[in-house]
Amino acid sequence: MSAGADAATTATAVHAGSPRPPVLAARHLVKRFGGIAALSDVSFEVQPGEVHAICGENGAGKSTLLKLLSGVHAAGSYEGDILIDGRPAAFRSTRDAERAGIAIVHQELALFDEMSVAENLLLAQLPRDRLRRIDWDAVYERARALLAEAGIALDPAARVGDLGVGQRQLVEIARALARQPRVLVLDEPTAALARHEIDALLALVRRQKAAGVACVYVSHKLDEVFAIADRITVLRDGVAQGTEPATSTDAPRVIARMVGRPIDDLYPKRAARTGPTLLRVRGLRIARSAGGPALLHDLDLEVAAGEVLGIGGLMGAGRSELLLHLAGHFGTRLAGEVTLGAATLPAGDARAAMRAGIALVTEDRKRLGLVLDQGVAFNLTLASLGRLRRGPLVDEIAELETARRSVDSLRIKTASLETRVGALSGGNQQKVVLGKALLTEPRVLLLDEPTRGIDVGAKLEVYELMNRLAAEGRAVVMVSSELPELLGMSDRILMLHEGRAGGLFTRVEAAPERLLAAALGQLGRAA
Amino acid sequence: MGAAAARLPARELSMGLALLCIWAFFAWREPVFLSERNLSLLSIELAITAILALGMFVVLLPGQIDLSAGSGVGLAGAVAAVLVHLHGVPAPLALLIAGAGAVLAWAGMGVLVAVERVPAFIITLGGLLVFRGLHWLVIDSQTVPIVEGGGSNLYSLLTTGYLPSVAGWALTAAVAVALVVTTLRRRARRLRHGFPADDSELSFLKLFVAIQGLALVTLVANGFRGIPLALVILGAVALLVQQLTAHTPFGRYLYATGGNEEAAVVSGVPVRATVIGAYALMGGVVALTGFMQTAYSGASTTTVGSLMELDAVAACVIGGTSLRGGRGTVLGVLFGALIMASLINGMTLMAVSPEAKYIARGLVLGLAVWLDLRLGGGR
Repeated sequence: MSAGADAATTATAVHAGSPRPPVLAARHLVKRFGGIAALSDVSFEVQPGEVHAICGENGAGKSTLLKLLSGVHAAGSYEGDILIDGRPAAFRSTRDAERAGIAIVHQELALFDEMSVAENLLLAQLPRDRLRRIDWDAVYERARALLAEAGIALDPAARVGDLGVGQRQLVEIARALARQPRVLVLDEPTAALARHEIDALLALVRRQKAAGVACVYVSHKLDEVFAIADRITVLRDGVAQGTEPATSTDAPRVIARMVGRPIDDLYPKRAARTGPTLLRVRGLRIARSAGGPALLHDLDLEVAAGEVLGIGGLMGAGRSELLLHLAGHFGTRLAGEVTLGAATLPAGDARAAMRAGIALVTEDRKRLGLVLDQGVAFNLTLASLGRLRRGPLVDEIAELETARRSVDSLRIKTASLETRVGALSGGNQQKVVLGKALLTEPRVLLLDEPTRGIDVGAKLEVYELMNRLAAEGRAVVMVSSELPELLGMSDRILMLHEGRAGGLFTRVEAAPERLLAAALGQLGRAA
Repeated sequence: MGAAAARLPARELSMGLALLCIWAFFAWREPVFLSERNLSLLSIELAITAILALGMFVVLLPGQIDLSAGSGVGLAGAVAAVLVHLHGVPAPLALLIAGAGAVLAWAGMGVLVAVERVPAFIITLGGLLVFRGLHWLVIDSQTVPIVEGGGSNLYSLLTTGYLPSVAGWALTAAVAVALVVTTLRRRARRLRHGFPADDSELSFLKLFVAIQGLALVTLVANGFRGIPLALVILGAVALLVQQLTAHTPFGRYLYATGGNEEAAVVSGVPVRATVIGAYALMGGVVALTGFMQTAYSGASTTTVGSLMELDAVAACVIGGTSLRGGRGTVLGVLFGALIMASLINGMTLMAVSPEAKYIARGLVLGLAVWLDLRLGGGR
């Protein structure tokens, strides 16, 4: 790490009017697909040692911009210029962009599960010994050095498939840094990370910045953007809405430019009117498989009709495992009981859970939520085909009517009911997953990170929907990594700490510091 | 299905062109290829290939495969032949017994695949060997005729039965009327509820082409002995599989399981039952194909059914079915089967050596998958 990497110098790393040309600059980029312009006019520039945030809703053109910068769309397929050190660059391929010093960490992870962290880091450049065999000592040594330099505490010999999604993200970043880039591009790097992992990542970016690396930081999360960015460029509908220093703007202004209208309050208020307890969990202890270590210990919880229960905690605290288990998809129950109304729910019986009225919206919508190759109507009705039958056949009109009602009420933006779900934006895909769950007419809705990776406008709609469902007398359980979301949406908040209840809070008692303390196991069992 | 309509026309066009080239080539080298007699025989061969391919399609949809189909064809035909010829069992009963046995055996393989999670490739590869051995054991590696002394029974009629000319036209007319009525009804119903449908010109054009095709087939078939019973069976099986895959919950579950198994599980799709059901269905299809192929050969011999599973897979892939599951249509499979049946029939007419035939079939299979990937079907 270079000397002089302290806060004072980082703040002045950007020299407005410096004679030095920006390391990377985009000038009036225009990219069309067929007749549709994904980018109509985008310009911005990054100086060495600068963190430049790009903010915009899904569909604003961020992905397309990154594909231009990384050479996925070759030079000549777009208009405008990409400048490296002030000189026009024409990337014919992703390799050209890499050679120019641009390293991109994509949102979708591309790691080899069966290989170790070290192999993933060094795959293209594995050190060899004299007989051209892989020199494993050198591999682990180099990997250890790379991880240490990036400030990542991971065992180089660990199998990547065994890591959590947050740790995998760090491996991906370390792999990009192994190429010693001059421009590091991070695409939604914290979408899957818990609070302490985000802090680790931001610290890593700050160290790179101090070492003179330019960083393009694409994110929805404005807290992070303001914590890390020197300048912010907002994209909307493929047009750059201008660049501002982070110090002279604020979150509401950035949001207003992203959506083209101000959002006064991201978390719509609602008068909670709770009814009888629906879901009841008593002394729950589960393990991944029989004989394995317990992941949840002696957990009690209750959710009433009309209530939103928020569940928080660090990654690995057992949040997703809890939801999956309640829906009958995960784990062996070592002890405890789950009841819904008068019915007792057996472990590992997803269809029984569904019949009893539990619906699950999973965190990983592409892996667990959608059949991407099929249409919107196909996906929406998949879990409730039994109700759409006429004799042995699925009634086409009943199915389309049902799908159309969902599309209308959830405001899913799609060209038609038969459009491939894979072609929709993230927010609309999430709405399809929600719509599918709602069509089973659940009494208890389990939502795992329901707003992960979707834009501000879609988020607001999801929040409004949650409130509507609660008002209809359903019980909603929401797992979230984002404290503001937990605080804004929940009637009560349960923080998990290493598989145990770290603290249970009413809306009034909850404060960010107390929630975090509970997640870290510092609060005891106070309620 | 919307999925089929939304796909690029490039692959449909190129496949249509390929079929045209194949037919033109054979017609040029062996003019007898286009004779009424040969086209009638081709339609019987098509029926046998296509029925097995339709079964394979149902197994491929949830992302599985059946390599044992060819040996199963031989075994089912052999069991029925032995029951009829050596034990004097009436043909309908013999077919029923062999068919039920096949359904059970394939459901068993389905259980091993879906519940015990043994890869389908391995289970059905094992099945290939086991069924081949049983097949030879059952017929004692001899030739077992399917009828007593030159007569005919339900078994032999599967490929030697023809509809009389009048019955053929009556059937064609009935199918045409049913086609028009259901198409117009469905269209009217969609429009009444405000859903997009083909415009009237396109609907008319599709119906016109389909009915013209039917009439042409009937005309040609009646020029020989009439519409083959085998072709009628194919029509029934195709209709059944089309309705099953496109319009029933089971069909949705097949596509969902193949498209994204984990998401299907979370959506409450009974994935195991779906896969077992697909294999059980394949068992029935294998038995039916076995009876027809054995009947077409006139007797059960050790070579009946050999390598037919590969023609079935090739027909599916040529027709746009994904080997990874989750994608494909019945119409595509029928089309792919027509290409495979035409190739084999034409090469037989040209007296191509068996060696060259194997090479040609292999190349077509490889070419089809490669083209599928190139034309964007294999995302």
